[in-house]
Amino acid sequence: MSGAHLAVENVSHTYRRGQQKALANINLEVRPEEALALVGRSGCGKSTLLHIMSGLLRPTEGRIYIDGLKVTDPSPNWVVMFQKPSLYPWMTVAQNVALGLKFSRRSGEIATRVPDLLSLVELSDYADRNVQDLSGGQQQRVALARSLAPRPEILFLDEPFSALDAFTRSSLQRDVRRIAKELGITLVLVTHDLPEAVIMAERAVVLSANPGEVSEIVEIDLANRDDLRTPEYAAARARLTRAYERAAGIHLTEEAAPAAAAGARAAEPVERAGRAAAK
Amino acid sequence: MSAEIALDPAAMAAGTGTGPMRGIKALRSIGYAGLGMVLLYGLWWLGGFVIRSNPSMAAFADFAPGPALDRLGQMVASGEALAMTLPSLERVLQGMAIAILLGVPTGILIGRVPVLREITNIPFQFLRMISPLSWMPVAVMAYSTWDGAIIFLIAIAAIWPILFSTAAGLRRVDPDWFKVARNLGARPWHMLFTIILPAISQDILTGVRLALGVAWIVLVPAEYLGVTSGLGYSINDARDTLEYDRLAATVIIIGIIGFTLDFACQQAIARLSWHRED
Repeated sequence: MSGAHLAVENVSHTYRRGQQKALANINLEVRPEEALALVGRSGCGKSTLLHIMSGLLRPTEGRIYIDGLKVTDPSPNWVVMFQKPSLYPWMTVAQNVALGLKFSRRSGEIATRVPDLLSLVELSDYADRNVQDLSGGQQQRVALARSLAPRPEILFLDEPFSALDAFTRSSLQRDVRRIAKELGITLVLVTHDLPEAVIMAERAVVLSANPGEVSEIVEIDLANRDDLRTPEYAAARARLTRAYERAAGIHLTEEAAPAAAAGARAAEPVERAGRAAAK
Repeated sequence: MSAEIALDPAAMAAGTGTGPMRGIKALRSIGYAGLGMVLLYGLWWLGGFVIRSNPSMAAFADFAPGPALDRLGQMVASGEALAMTLPSLERVLQGMAIAILLGVPTGILIGRVPVLREITNIPFQFLRMISPLSWMPVAVMAYSTWDGAIIFLIAIAAIWPILFSTAAGLRRVDPDWFKVARNLGARPWHMLFTIILPAISQDILTGVRLALGVAWIVLVPAEYLGVTSGLGYSINDARDTLEYDRLAATVIIIGIIGFTLDFACQQAIARLSWHRED
């Protein structure tokens, strides 16, 4: 198994009832075994682009090629992990993981592959458990194992960690990156969390909104992704933050933050005083 | 007696926990149910008493609990109760089978294809509101046997709850479940048998339970048609022969079997459900 090459050519998309284009003329390339992040404010069309790349959604214009072949439908060769784990509650953990193999007539592999995958996501003891008994993080690990079962060449992640607590999120970010690297899977990740993009991706595509367009592509060249206290990490994060600000037309940087906070603090006593007077 | 029931293993398994609190709760609910039955019996006895003390109604005195329960005992012992029940059960099961075989697939289609839902919504709501018994003349003309007509009436009464419950259940299914399945390479039959049917099993069973209630109610008047067997026929027959104790006993049999069928459905739903209470 090795990661696939993905090309986005002149993709534009307008939703059926949408007034405006959600995406306008996107051209993009994802290299084999690369980890690429799509970042941008909510509504910039990053999830739409991911759905189009995976074949779950057909673009109004343009084409997607995976290893030179035009994508028209979803396939177990490129799998999406969603924000919610969306496990099937009437199946056990192992049955959920085995699903892709069952669907693609590879049931013979289930007996060996499912235990391997469960050990990869550190849930070997949970094979026969009901998925409803698992925590959010464990459920997302099951979803990861389920996505990996058909041996995909590309793994698309649609903000799959955003509903998790900070600790679980950070351990899953590392695990997904490690597993993708070990298995040589191309990773495409949608996130609005800039540190997540820096930790997980080698390149970040920054999208601007209305319509969604590629604003900038930021290279994230980190030798060590386990230590977040290095100057390289801080520099990469700062570069991505500035690109994000330029695309969104807003300021998140350190200079702007204290002023905004001070403003909020100044406003508060006035409001309280007003309420007291009203009483 | 109530203590014996509380220790019944089936009753214990139906609950979620164990311990004295659960035991007390079970005992209390059995106590309340018992009280309700005693009140019902009391009302029945009172009715019998009023009839008996009114000379102009003396002919109906056998409606009272005493004669009715005596007769019920005899009917059960002689096998008459079973003989009148089996044909009725057979008709209900056949009618239900037709309603399920037509209602579930139609419900799935309507739930899955929005255009079909829009096309069928008003015609189906219209048909649903027609009392099943008003199809009686049509059923009699359309079927060469009385049995066929009765089964048709039961099926047409039972199909609506199944159809609507299936369609509503499907519309509530998490759309991500379909996306994930498509992505993992599910073919249409995988989608149907691995995703859709398990996802809506509880809705289908709830529809079946409602439908069974309706079917059981329609059964008795439907069996007034031509046939010479079944509970509805027995009611009519007892009325014609002025055997009011037999009539009352048959009413009790109808009630007990209807209650048992509903209880069995409820247990099946609880057992097959993958939904968690919390």
